Amino acid sequence: MADTYTKRALSGVDVGRKRKGLLVTPDLCIACRACQSACKQWNRLPGEKTVNRGSYENPPDLTPSLFNQIHFIEKKKDVGIDWLFVRRSCMHCGEAGCMDICPAPGALFRTKEGAVMYDKKKCIGCKLCLAGCPFNVPRFDENDKIAKCTLCADRIANGLSTACAKTCPTGAIRFGSRDELIGQAKAGGFNVYGEKDLDGLGVMFALKQSPDVYGLSEPRYNGTIAFWDNLIRPLSVAGLGVAAAAALLHYITVGPREVEPDDKPGEGGE
Amino acid sequence: MAKMIQKTTAYERFVHWTMALSCLVLLLTGLGFLYQQELGWLNTIFGGQHLARQIHNWGGVVFTISVIMGIGIWLGEALSWTKEDSEWIGMLGGYFGRDLEPPPQGKLNAGQKLVVMAVIFCGLLIAVSGFLMWIGPASKGAMLWGHILHNLAFLVFAVTVPVHIYMATAANPGTFRIMTRGDVPLYWARKKHARWVKETGGE
Repeated sequence: MADTYTKRALSGVDVGRKRKGLLVTPDLCIACRACQSACKQWNRLPGEKTVNRGSYENPPDLTPSLFNQIHFIEKKKDVGIDWLFVRRSCMHCGEAGCMDICPAPGALFRTKEGAVMYDKKKCIGCKLCLAGCPFNVPRFDENDKIAKCTLCADRIANGLSTACAKTCPTGAIRFGSRDELIGQAKAGGFNVYGEKDLDGLGVMFALKQSPDVYGLSEPRYNGTIAFWDNLIRPLSVAGLGVAAAAALLHYITVGPREVEPDDKPGEGGE
Repeated sequence: MAKMIQKTTAYERFVHWTMALSCLVLLLTGLGFLYQQELGWLNTIFGGQHLARQIHNWGGVVFTISVIMGIGIWLGEALSWTKEDSEWIGMLGGYFGRDLEPPPQGKLNAGQKLVVMAVIFCGLLIAVSGFLMWIGPASKGAMLWGHILHNLAFLVFAVTVPVHIYMATAANPGTFRIMTRGDVPLYWARKKHARWVKETGGE
């Protein structure tokens, strides 16, 4: 159980050979959003009513029933616009902040393919994983239970590819051995976003331009929460222990202050 | 039987017990969540993770109500800080020596006033941050700050509550009666809360 809590969660996974992942190449994406539909179909997620916001991007963000979303970047240029499509989903971090902060044993766990998976029966709906996530990914269903991409854990355990990768018509989402995907991307002259960050992301991006252009920030373990957790957890127990010990010590050294009926009233220095 | 003087009303004792018991339940379930690996068995006692979470949340509602009622009871007295209170703090209540005599105290002594302020301030902080995480927006910022503030407030309780309990029981025999029966012997009150006895005209 200890391993599910610590950052060593990847131990036991033969990262080199067995860890599976996705390689997303935004430049190949045509925003057909077949991956959104295929994901909903495999995971039996209902459609949602949305409103026209003046963009083809729809729905505008991840929801409890949308684990995989194509985000549109529409930026004006001197002539025309930049129209970029970036897939949003759980990145299946190697060093997963959500797993580190989760207080319910077994609610979040690592599959042998390296995916960050969850067990809704064990999830207690506290939503702390959202505070630990560097990518603002976890969403919560009507019972406050976590809902996010599972890297199609049930498919890949049986040798299939993920639903999104299988349906992608252009190869913008490709599934496979993480190492092979990295090799292919580099052979194609791409930079790989997420190769080493956070012990390697399960979902990587093959980019020719800077990640900023695609709105991808530098993946960073949530240091704030780690700091407070590492500071407050020991401090609160130390505080409790020291206070109790000090009380006992006081009792056996100075001792209790008894009041006897014939004591003179406490008029002090007045 | 010594002559007695009433120090608390039944309502005050009810609020104090509500606060104490809900605080204890929140402490045990909260520790179970915070130290999942080491103290997770605490949550087993409360019927498992799911039930422990419900008990923690609804126990928080009870505790919040007791804090709000406590504001009406104790905050005014706690904020009426006097010169004697400062002197009491200066000599740490005289608790670190057998023959030290602190200046005459009001209905609450300076240490008790500090406990009231800490419990009410941190009680409100822990309540607000708790509700933020429970029913607030499911956003990253809300969860992050809710978590941090909840734990910071807990830190204060972790130190204050054991000291408060020790002071009101073993360290000062007779004090606990204030929480059970509400009345104390007049000679005891004259010794511990001389100014209060004088002001209420108890003698």
